Amino acid sequence: MPDTKLSVVGLSKQFGELNVLENISADVAKGEFISIVGPSGCGKTTLLRIIGGLEKSSAGTVRLDDRVIDGPGRDRGFVFQQDNLLPWRNILANAEIGPEVGGYANTEQRSRTLSLLKLVGLEGFSHYYPRQLSGGMRQRVNLARALAVNPDLLLMDEPFSALDAQTREIMQTELLRIWEEGRKTVLFVTHQIDEAVYLSDRVFVLARRPGRINRIVDIDLPRPRPLALKRTPEFVAYVDLIWKLIEEDVRVSVLEEHA
Amino acid sequence: MTTEPHTISVETGKPRANGPRLAGPRRFLQRNGWALGSVIGGLLLWEFVSRVLVASKLFLASPSQILIAMVRLAQTGELQKDITISAIEFFIGYVAASLIGIALGLLMASSRAWKQALQPWVSGLYATPTIALAPLFILWFGVGISSKVVVVIVLVVFPVVINTEAGLLTTSPNLIETVRSFGANSRQIFFKVSLPSALPFIFAGLKLGIGRGLIGVVVAELFGSRAGLGQLISQSADAFNMPDLFAGVVVLAAAGIAMTSGFAWLERRLLPWRE
Repeated sequence: MPDTKLSVVGLSKQFGELNVLENISADVAKGEFISIVGPSGCGKTTLLRIIGGLEKSSAGTVRLDDRVIDGPGRDRGFVFQQDNLLPWRNILANAEIGPEVGGYANTEQRSRTLSLLKLVGLEGFSHYYPRQLSGGMRQRVNLARALAVNPDLLLMDEPFSALDAQTREIMQTELLRIWEEGRKTVLFVTHQIDEAVYLSDRVFVLARRPGRINRIVDIDLPRPRPLALKRTPEFVAYVDLIWKLIEEDVRVSVLEEHA
Repeated sequence: MTTEPHTISVETGKPRANGPRLAGPRRFLQRNGWALGSVIGGLLLWEFVSRVLVASKLFLASPSQILIAMVRLAQTGELQKDITISAIEFFIGYVAASLIGIALGLLMASSRAWKQALQPWVSGLYATPTIALAPLFILWFGVGISSKVVVVIVLVVFPVVINTEAGLLTTSPNLIETVRSFGANSRQIFFKVSLPSALPFIFAGLKLGIGRGLIGVVVAELFGSRAGLGQLISQSADAFNMPDLFAGVVVLAAAGIAMTSGFAWLERRLLPWRE
C-alpha cells in the first residue's frame, strides 16, 4: 500500500484467560478515514486503546510511520467517548492541555488552538466552562483538544454515542467537513453501521470471541457526502452488507448479555 | 461555520449568586427580608425574656446589656487584648493544621503503605473527642499560647486530612486517562488533574476546621490561661457576670460567621467553575 501511515501486525490481547483480540493485522494509508465496527465485546475499543498507547498488547506490534508504539504520545490524538473535559478549566484551557503537557504552549500555539475552536464551531466560547455547554458542544471541544497537538493519527472512540440522534447526524457532517480540511488519518470506532459507512473510506468489520477482522469493506461513495446520501440505494446496500456480516455475532452477544 | 440552533444552545453563563447587582435598601430588604425579620424578632424576644420573665442578671443577660458590656470592655481595652490573644492562638494552630492536614492527606492518597500506617490513627483520633485531652496539653505545654495552638491543631487537622485524601481518591480515572493520553507524566497528572479536582473537598475540610478550631481555642483557655476570650468567659462565669460572659460568646459567634462566609467568598473566587 502506498504511503502507509499505520501498520498493525499480528496484534493479540488477552485479559487473563479471555482472548480479546487475536492476530489483528491491517495497514492504514495516510489520510484515510477508517471505521471499526463490530458487536459489543469484539474488542474494537481495546484495539483503539492499544493503538493509542493506553493499553499494552499481549503480542504483535503497532507502527506509526516507522515508530513502534508502546505508550501514549502527542503523535496521536484521542477523542474519548465521554468528553472528559476538566470542569475547572475553561474551553480554551481544556483544548490546550495537550500542548501544555508537552511544554510548548506559547502564543503561536494559542492562536492555533483558537483557530481550531473556530473550526469546530466554538468561536467566542473560549472562556465558557464545560458545564455551560451542551453535550454536542463539549464533544466539539473534545475533538479540538485532540487536534490541538496536531496528531498524525486521530483516534475516535464512539465520540457521538452519547448524543441524541439529530445532534449525532449534524456532528457526522461536521466531522467530515473538518476532516476534509486537514485530511488527518482517522480511526473511528462505532457501533452505528450507518455512521461508519457515511464517514469512511473503508470499514473494518470485527468478529468476536476472539476479536478478529472478519472483513474489510471498501466504501466506494463519492465525497463530499451530503446527509441525503444516507437514503440512496448504494448507501443502504453497504449498511445491509455490514449488518449481515455481524448479525449472527450480535445475536449471540445480546443473548449472552441477557443470560 | 454552520450554526445549528440545537447544538449552539448555551445556558447563560452567569452564576445565580452574581445576578443583576442592584443596590439600594429596598432591593436588600426584598432579598433578605425574612432573615432580617427573624434575627430582629429573635433579639426582641430575647430582650423580653431576659428583662421580664427571668429578670435576673445572674441568669441571663439581655442583648442590650451585652452590647453595653462589650462597649465597656472595649473602652478598657480588655476585649481587644482577649481577641488578639485568641486570634493569634487560632490562626497559628489553624494554619499549621491546614498545612499538616493537607500534607498527610497527600501522603495517604499517594501510597498504600502510608495509607495503611496512618488510617487507624486518623480514624481513631477523628472519632475521639480529643478536646477532652485539653487539660493534658495545658499540663505539658503550659498556660501560654502554645498549649492552645496544640489543641487547635489536634481538632482541625483530622477533617482536613480526611477530606484531602477523599478528594484526591475521587479524582475521575477518565480525566486522568485523558491527560495521560497526551503523554502527561505523573507529576503533571497530579498538578493538572488530581489536585484541582480535590480542591473543593479540601475547602470543605478547611471550612469544617473553622468551627472546631474556635471550640479548641475557647475550651483550652477555659482549662487554664492568662488571657483570651475563653478566659474572659470563664472568669465572667465565676463572677456570675452574664453580660461579660455573653460578650465573649458574641465575639466568638461573629468570628465564626465572618470566617465561614469569608471562606464561601474565597471558594466562589477560586472555584468559579462549580455550580
